[in-house]
Amino acid sequence: MLVIKNATIYTMDDATGVVQADLRIDGGKIAEIGRDLSTDGAQVIDAAGKVVTPGFVDAHSHVGGIGPGMAEEDLNELTTPLTPELDAYYGINPDDKQFKNTIAQGITTSCLAPGSGNVVCGWVMAYKSAGKDRVVRRPVAMKGAMGINPKGVYSQKNQSPMTRMAIANTMRTYLRNVKDYMKKKADAGDDAAKMPPYDLGLEHGIPVIEKKIPLKVHSYMHDMMTVLEIAKEFDILITLDHAQGCSDYLEELTDPHVHGIIFGPTSAQLFPGEGGKLDPECCKLFDDRGVPIAVMTDAPVTVVNMLVYEMGEAVRHGMDPVRALALVTSNAAKIVGVEDRVGSLAVGKDADVLIWTKLPSEATDAVLERVLIDGETVFEKET
Amino acid sequence: MLIQNGNVHDGLGHVLKQDVRIADGLITALGTLRPEAGEEVFDAAGMEVLPGFVQALSVWGIMGNTTEIRPSSNDNDEKSNPITPELDGFYAFNGRAATAQQLGAFGLTSCGVAPTDNNLFGGTIAAFSVDGLNPYKMVLGRGLGMMASVTPNLKTTYGARQMAPMTRMWIFTNLAEQLRKAAEYKEEPEKPKDDKLAAIRRVVDGELPLFVSCDSALAAQRVHEITAPYEKLRLVLVNGFGLTGEEQWIIEKKIPIIVRTASLPLDEFAMTLSLPAMAKFAQAGVPVALSGENSNAFAAREDLLWNASEMMRVMHDGEQVLSMVTSIPARILGIDDKVGSIETGKRADIVLWSADPMLTYQAKIVRTYQGGEIIYKEGDAMKCL
Repeated sequence: MLVIKNATIYTMDDATGVVQADLRIDGGKIAEIGRDLSTDGAQVIDAAGKVVTPGFVDAHSHVGGIGPGMAEEDLNELTTPLTPELDAYYGINPDDKQFKNTIAQGITTSCLAPGSGNVVCGWVMAYKSAGKDRVVRRPVAMKGAMGINPKGVYSQKNQSPMTRMAIANTMRTYLRNVKDYMKKKADAGDDAAKMPPYDLGLEHGIPVIEKKIPLKVHSYMHDMMTVLEIAKEFDILITLDHAQGCSDYLEELTDPHVHGIIFGPTSAQLFPGEGGKLDPECCKLFDDRGVPIAVMTDAPVTVVNMLVYEMGEAVRHGMDPVRALALVTSNAAKIVGVEDRVGSLAVGKDADVLIWTKLPSEATDAVLERVLIDGETVFEKET
Repeated sequence: MLIQNGNVHDGLGHVLKQDVRIADGLITALGTLRPEAGEEVFDAAGMEVLPGFVQALSVWGIMGNTTEIRPSSNDNDEKSNPITPELDGFYAFNGRAATAQQLGAFGLTSCGVAPTDNNLFGGTIAAFSVDGLNPYKMVLGRGLGMMASVTPNLKTTYGARQMAPMTRMWIFTNLAEQLRKAAEYKEEPEKPKDDKLAAIRRVVDGELPLFVSCDSALAAQRVHEITAPYEKLRLVLVNGFGLTGEEQWIIEKKIPIIVRTASLPLDEFAMTLSLPAMAKFAQAGVPVALSGENSNAFAAREDLLWNASEMMRVMHDGEQVLSMVTSIPARILGIDDKVGSIETGKRADIVLWSADPMLTYQAKIVRTYQGGEIIYKEGDAMKCL
């Protein structure tokens, strides 16, 4: 048992908000939040003057699955544009040293996805940076991609899709095939003779059609509108990942099919086409409209250190610092579909807890002093 | 015009509530000033007034959205020969391309532009304003330093094409040999001029500093061994990767360091950068500048601002960190007579912030002035097309 005493706790739980309190952890879960909790038989961390937040959730990452060479490249199977049968679970090296950096930045859960070179790429999972049982949930989404990534990969191979026209068609055809497959299975009932041959790729699409998981689509600018059209057509949930330029479609994307927007990473140059607009103000704009929005690192495409700066830019562009914390905690957890476990501090949730010197979404020199995952200290700042 | 009542951070460590007068693109007076007849006045009460950031080494105007429709569009990357000291980085720069990146929205007003670190000697460095059209009007200085590199980039650039260098043996031997030959080089009227040796001779004679990109502390140590015998040679270390802050030869000679961003985690050398080590050097009086990428198209416009925030977590001193993105890079590039600080006589490169960006993410740019002209103001959209 562990008690964190006298902290300013940003619970990111709507019912509790920000409290000056103690936090008791038992069995890897949060057992109690309140004033003057008993410390009998408990290890005590004095957090007077400190800020406590939930562990960060990086809503879009490839940590542990992409490295400097082919030997470490395990999330981009760039051999055919439809690979829905694949699963990020098999591409992740749990011992990858990048997880150490991830922890040191306060990221306790990452949404680990296949890369964006295919139109439909495979299953996505939520995964902890450390601990005994690191899979939080699998799958949490089916990954898809629009725009220059699949175009770039397959046009070099003289294959389709070479254009946005063909990408839309490829994605639509896959979803239609899943629906047909589901219908055949339902029609067959108990008749094994009528059952369609088992197809893992189509099986993986069933939870998408059933709206149990979203289609998580790498999309920028007007590609987002294409994804929305497909989502309405098949009545599925989508997350729009990267989403630069989304503020151009503020009204359209405020739509029940949009399960969430995962914005960033912003640290790049402007370039014509899908990289032509940078709008960190979208975080406030969509949050104000009640559309769940998060930020991301896309690590190791950018370093994990940048998650805090992505949040910082949302603050610079108008967002309240406490609301901005939701971009990497409660909102991110909700969009990833793991809000019952992580992303906020409430009784019964995983004890993934960060202790800071200052509020990290406001003060640039806020130092992360301690990281707990499932109640265990996995990082401590050297003093 | 007159900017009144702002909290002025001069970039040299001082903060004072005072007024700033701008005329003909220059800062002409500082202090408690009364508006002159007909003078435009901007009330900056409650605002923080900072110098425009200076990025020592950058890709601005070269890579990114300037990529042309033919191959070999990166004009600072002459990878036909690893020894090209005779080239001038000035010609790589496209003013409109730099302007399109709206760097003023991130507090930048000037940037250094260098050849990539794919060559042992890449050519000379130039510095420019970030906003404009004509490079000849935007230039702040040419031939400001010689860009050199001893990183494995040379091996991947040339060795992979079955050309020299394939090894570190070649890289360091040729660094030493080129300097030796240049030191012995004399122009003789009857002989054709050797442009390469003549260019390196200027470095040996200390006419311009030698900027050397190193991937490790060992590489930096070897560069030091090779260059130290040339007393006039002025060394600048680029990257800072792997240095511990304990290297006495850097501290004793106060050898400037340009810290390149570690934004790409797949670069295992970049991940050896220690900001606490850089803080140690800075506290020992070594000029330390924070910069961004200059050889990678993924360079970010946020580099200076975010690197400063990262350094704040180590140093907790806003004025000292501010100097690392303003006056110190200007001094290393030798353009500190024009930019990098708020002083009388300097160019009016001034950014008005709603709060101190070194301290809080709530700091928003109200106006960015480059040479007294507004190049970005609050509410301008960030888009290139």
